[in-house]
Amino acid sequence: MDMLISILEQGLIFAIIAMGVYITYKILDFPDLSVDGTYPLGAAITATMIASGINPLLAMLAAIAAGAAAGLVTGLIHVKLKVRDLLSGIITMTALYSVNLHIAGKANLPIFNTTTIFNNGIVNTIFPAFLEPYKTLIIIFLVALAAKLLLDWYLKTKSGYLLRAVGDNPAVVTSLANDKGTIKIIGLMISNALVALAGSVMCQQQRFFEVQMGIGTIVIGLAAVIIGITLFRKLRRVKPTTAVAVGSILYKACVALAITYGLSATDMKLVTAVLFLLILVIAMERRSRRKKLA
Amino acid sequence: MKRIFIAIIASLMVLALLPGCSPRSEYVVGIGQFGPHASLDNCREGFIAGLAEEGIVEGENLTIDYQDANFDGGTSNLIASAFVSSKVDLICGIATPMAQAAYNAAEGKIPVIFTAVTDPVMAGITEGNITGTSDMLPVEAQLKLIRALMPDATKIGIMYTTSEVNSESAIAVYEDLADDYGFDIITSGISVSADIPLAIDGLLAKVDCITNLTDNTVVGSLPIILEAANEKGIPVFGSEIEQVKIGCAAAEGLEYYELGKQTGKMAAKVLKGEAEASDIPYEIISESFLYINSTVMAELGLTLPSDMADRAEDVAE
Repeated sequence: MDMLISILEQGLIFAIIAMGVYITYKILDFPDLSVDGTYPLGAAITATMIASGINPLLAMLAAIAAGAAAGLVTGLIHVKLKVRDLLSGIITMTALYSVNLHIAGKANLPIFNTTTIFNNGIVNTIFPAFLEPYKTLIIIFLVALAAKLLLDWYLKTKSGYLLRAVGDNPAVVTSLANDKGTIKIIGLMISNALVALAGSVMCQQQRFFEVQMGIGTIVIGLAAVIIGITLFRKLRRVKPTTAVAVGSILYKACVALAITYGLSATDMKLVTAVLFLLILVIAMERRSRRKKLA
Repeated sequence: MKRIFIAIIASLMVLALLPGCSPRSEYVVGIGQFGPHASLDNCREGFIAGLAEEGIVEGENLTIDYQDANFDGGTSNLIASAFVSSKVDLICGIATPMAQAAYNAAEGKIPVIFTAVTDPVMAGITEGNITGTSDMLPVEAQLKLIRALMPDATKIGIMYTTSEVNSESAIAVYEDLADDYGFDIITSGISVSADIPLAIDGLLAKVDCITNLTDNTVVGSLPIILEAANEKGIPVFGSEIEQVKIGCAAAEGLEYYELGKQTGKMAAKVLKGEAEASDIPYEIISESFLYINSTVMAELGLTLPSDMADRAEDVAE
């Protein structure tokens, strides 16, 4: 049971990342590697602010803003300086490594016994005793839900429609007299803001910041997106944001299973890679079949 | 193909919910190790030996659930939660991130014993149901050794990875003590092992010798450093036996097996109920071991004073 809670906690935090990755990878068709830097960026800012006694909610907002700023940088590098998408992300990610170290001041910053969104006066009093074991999970769920609803709402606004059009059919955007570069930048900002939010939540859940925590974020994010989208392809009623969240939980469940059932850690990355390839091939096969039908 | 895939996932999910079932020994200990690494492996073996010396023997009255996080923070968290959910009697966290993950997941309900954590205070794991051993380097002994071997040296170079908090702590100690022995510490920070070939040339130009920490990235690329230093005839001092074996001149180092053993004995006290983890202060290993590589020392023209030679172990091949 505790294991299930842990899977859901981790899965829901990564669901927020998956929503961000969904915007770039699926909507904008932009493989954005900056998330490997913005995820720990959110954590670094949160840990530093919380350690100096600032309200955790403010820390979360600061993390979101910083994530958006990092997305802006990637966007500007790509759109204004005309650097290729993959490279723009790599440049931002690389720079953020140093930025994160500077923000936190050291490679590992603990925030045990501090006020976080999971541990503060209000939260500790409103939760009845029987809900205590689920407190962290419920709070993470609420944050993820808020992120999902906001994103769902945004995608229905005019700006959201244009965002979707940039990936699918850039000509439409231009014909509507909009600059597709600006829209791409907005998409990157929202995406990285979400990822930094996830970093902020994760750092408060695990109660320490670690500079290496971002490595492989994009891989997990992509896996979650592809699992989710592939699974729910036929169920059109399921919103993509929900689908990627489920994908993220499934991914974390697979990792937990592998650990519980004694998969050697040495093989872990190999198994992840094979699983990832398998999912990609399945997704690709469907896409080509769809094209044939069309 | 999709259906097969869904079926696999679904059946895996169901499996996940099944509780693991095995006969329970008197003591169940979860050992979480941050990653596969020779020193950490020695630590773990020492830990198990330490428990055995106190009569808690694997296979007799002890079941060990050993997990390795492969240097991944997310996996560390999952491993720690898995230990808590299977209600082990004690969690042993090897290396800083694993110790922090265990401390966070246990929430004081399960005692946590850590080892191979250089600076438990900086890592924030000194309060509560937790104790363990620190692998802080015997910096003072190392400085004495370097002074004895190189009476005229003034500048010691240290290369470290900026992401390794253990290295930062060790450097702080070096900088604190260096003055007492008439040394200046010159550091060179890198972020990935690919930076080392460039950084080492810059560092060698400024120093009389190099001393190593237990920095994972730097130690992993030690042969590159040794080659560059040997070309210039600059001695490299190590921090543990393995480094001296592959070509460092000498080291005042920790014996990780002994460190693990000391940790195992602490864990035994907690398991037997003789003491609470919260009441035992964390321990630093007091004794350092002197290892030398006589072949390398001869090449560099270094000679060990006779009072030190008595306790030195020559590991040259």
